[in-house]
Formats: sequence, C-alpha cells, structure tokens
Amino acid sequence: MRRFGLACLCLALSSGRGIAGTVYVASQEAGAVARIEAGTTGTLAAIAVGGGPAQVAAGPDGRLYLTQPDGHAVTVVDPATNTVLRRLPFAGQAFGIAVSPDGAGLFVGDWANARVVRLSAETGAVEGSVAVGREPAGLVLDARGRLYVADRESRQVSVVDTATMTRTDTLPVGEAPFALALSPKQDRLYVANVRSGDLSVLETGSARVLATVRIGGMPYGVAASADGRLVLVTDQQAGRVVALDAAKLGLQATVSVGRYPEGIVVDGERAYVANWFSDSVSVIDLATLVETGRIPVGAGPRSLAVVPDPPARRPGGGRP
Amino acid sequence: MRLAVPAALLALVATAAIAHGPTPQKVHQSVTIAAKPEAVWKVVGDFAGIGTWHPDVAKAEGTDGNTSGGRRKVTLKAGGTLDESLDEWNAQGRTYSYRLSDADLKALPVSSYSATLTVSPDGEGSKVEWLGRFYRGDTGNEPPEELSDAAGKAAMVRYFGDGLKGLKAKVEGRVATGTMPDGRAKP
Repeated sequence: MRRFGLACLCLALSSGRGIAGTVYVASQEAGAVARIEAGTTGTLAAIAVGGGPAQVAAGPDGRLYLTQPDGHAVTVVDPATNTVLRRLPFAGQAFGIAVSPDGAGLFVGDWANARVVRLSAETGAVEGSVAVGREPAGLVLDARGRLYVADRESRQVSVVDTATMTRTDTLPVGEAPFALALSPKQDRLYVANVRSGDLSVLETGSARVLATVRIGGMPYGVAASADGRLVLVTDQQAGRVVALDAAKLGLQATVSVGRYPEGIVVDGERAYVANWFSDSVSVIDLATLVETGRIPVGAGPRSLAVVPDPPARRPGGGRP
Repeated sequence: MRLAVPAALLALVATAAIAHGPTPQKVHQSVTIAAKPEAVWKVVGDFAGIGTWHPDVAKAEGTDGNTSGGRRKVTLKAGGTLDESLDEWNAQGRTYSYRLSDADLKALPVSSYSATLTVSPDGEGSKVEWLGRFYRGDTGNEPPEELSDAAGKAAMVRYFGDGLKGLKAKVEGRVATGTMPDGRAKP
C-alpha cells in the first residue's frame, strides 16, 4: 500500500513542494507510534512498540524505524499493516536516526558512546561505525550522502561521509545543539541549540556559519517549510513555535502550541509539532501560521516522521 | 564494596553537570490556594524568594533580579545546592520558567531540569501549577537505583509538592513543614 520506489522520493525532494504524505508520531513514555491524519481531531491506530522510542525516521518504502535508547534496540514497523516487523539489537544508547536513500542502511547515533553506527535495515548487522562528538542527538542525511550529526555536548555538528563512514568536518555551533533540518534545496543546515537558546544557520556548500539567530528559551526542534521560505523552531520553555523568514532570518510569527514542544515536521502546507508534556500534536497551517488543531496522542511524544505518499501512476514510471 | 560506592558517586557527580540523557521525565504538581492570584504571585513571583515559602529550603540567594538571566542559589536543609537561572519571567501572566545550571546529586538525584511555575485564577482563589522536565541522575543505560528515573521522579515530586504545600500554608497564614529527610541515605 505504501510501497514505492526511490524515484518518487527524489521527485518529491526536487519538486519544490516538498514531501507530502502521512505523519507519524513516536511517544516515548507510551512506547507507541501513531498515525496522524490531517484535518481530523483524533489519532488513528497506535502501534505498540514498547521500550521508550525517542526518535523515528521513515524509510523510502514507508517503513518506520524507532530508536529505543533505554531498550538497546531499533524497532522496525510496517505502518501499512500496523505491525512490528523486527527488533534490531543495538549495543549502546540508540537515539538519532537516518535511513539511507535505498532503505538498506540505518545510521544510528549512540548517545552514550559518541559514535554513529551503520546497521543493515534488514538484519541489524553492524556495517560500519564512526566516532563523533559527545552525546550525538539529531541526525540528518543529505542527497549526496553526507550525514550531519548534532553533537550535543561538543557544541558542534559532525559531518560524516557515509560512503566511507569517515568524519570529514566538524562545524562549531551554539551550546547543546539538538535538532537539525536541511532547507529543501539542501544549501542550508539549521541547527537548534537548546542551551544557548538560538539557531545556527550553516551554509552546506562552504561549511560555514552564516548566522546565529536568537530564539530564546530552549529550541528543541527545527523544520523548513516545503517552499523553503520559513524556518520553524520549537521553543520548549515558552510552549511556542517561532517562525522565521528564511531569507531575512527575521521573526515572522510566533505560534502558541502545547507544553514542552519538541519535534516538528512539515507535510505539505502544514506543520506538526509533538507537545511532549501535553501528550498532543499541534497542527499549524503554514499559510496563516495559526494552530488549527491539537490532536491527543500517547504520552511523551517527541519525534515525528513523514512517510511520502506513493506517486501517481505514470506511463513508463515505476520502480527504478 | 562499601568503599567503592563513594568513589562511584563522586565520579557521577563529576559527569552529571554535562549529562542530559535520552529519556526525559515529567513532574507536575498543583495546589489550590484560598487567596487572589495577585496575593499568591506577590509571594511566589520573586524568583530568589523561594526560601520564604519552601519548607525544604534553608536559604536562597538571588542575583540579577526577576528577569531573563536572573539567578538563584538555593541551599536545601537536607544538603546540596541548586543553581538555577530564569529563562522567562512574566508578571502579567504570573508565570516564570527556569532551568538548573549545574547538577548537584546531593540536592536532587537528577542531572538536569527545566521548570515552569504559573499562578492562575481558580474560582474565588488561585491555582498554582509547577511542572518540569528532568533527566535521571545517572543517564547511562544501567543507573543505580538511587539515580534511576524512579528515584528522580520521587525526589522531584516531593520537592515540588512540599513547596506548594508550604506556599499554600504561607499565603493562607499557616505553618507547613517539609518531608525531605535531614540527610541523604548513607551508602
């Protein structure tokens, strides 16, 4: 049902409209992942995964991968059938996660052991490892195979060449970088710094810091709008989302959401925010920057992922 | 074994200040008080004035006032010091948010926290909510029991609960005592 090839992911990335699809939220305290339906006020079927899932990422085939730092595992879920497919053992504290474009490899940050490990998505076999800074938090992979890692207690972003699993660069950012997001064109990397209360804006081509933007409170999540014009930052301390104009890096609006907002994703014309303390997901309409809904979810939601919709059937299209 | 414990605790104290861990925990306590919100805010709104209402606090010293960046150093009767700083202080909304700067496992068995205290109208009186997010004292995968999620939760619930009871008693004109032990359990 949600199976499709790689081509559509690349299409979605290059279309300028960004990925449209289905949003999933992982609730750490509840040990569950649930599908969020835009426009509705209720949650759909929650899938019990146990073991305190902290972060979730979607693979190109629509599968969900959830890290369980206290459970020494990464759990694989097929949302099309609402089933847990596998539990991959992880020797460490699995936290941040990214999936390779072909869906074969998982890059998993090991919070306690300052490294990123590459696992086979199918078997869980360790295929490589690279040392990064202390307490690696958010991970994001670009189209060229560069993995960016927010090294929370090293005040830096590590850049990893995933083809060779070597660290090629470290970029100094603010205090306690936690969440990362690439602009749709992937020319910028946004870094939410929890302790210094600001956002580092990096140019990916030159690997330099373009700007540091004051947010205030504790920025714990960041996302770019599909058209690239907005940067959305969650501020946990103030229970709000700060929307910045990406061109000027000035304040566009602030949107009140639930308590302790953390993860944020954009799906088409809407943003979804995991309100960790309030056990809900806020829906923000990006055209008006207004919260249009607040959906109750399992306890302790922190992370969201978007599973892209299958592409429309085209003549000659299909799997690569 | 008995000799090894203090050394292990010392090592934990040394690393706790920069450890945050991957599993945050919630603490949420509230109380209703038979007084107008303005009267409650007058007592609780002064960030460094926590020693006047919290029964577990021996003394509190403030610097830089009731504004973002303001700090307080809170010494507990049971031992240990909480060094905290304000992120936001909003008199109109009768709310402030703050965070722990450096962990002190003697004070509370947690490695870090942020918290918000809010006074709101409740009928003829007030409701005070005190909520926060914290991480256990040992953020590793196999924490000892005294530095586990459960130990952190028990301590935070007790500390917030004692405080709100003390605040209610102070504002309503009674006397409350804390429940914190006089000293930490001996190893």
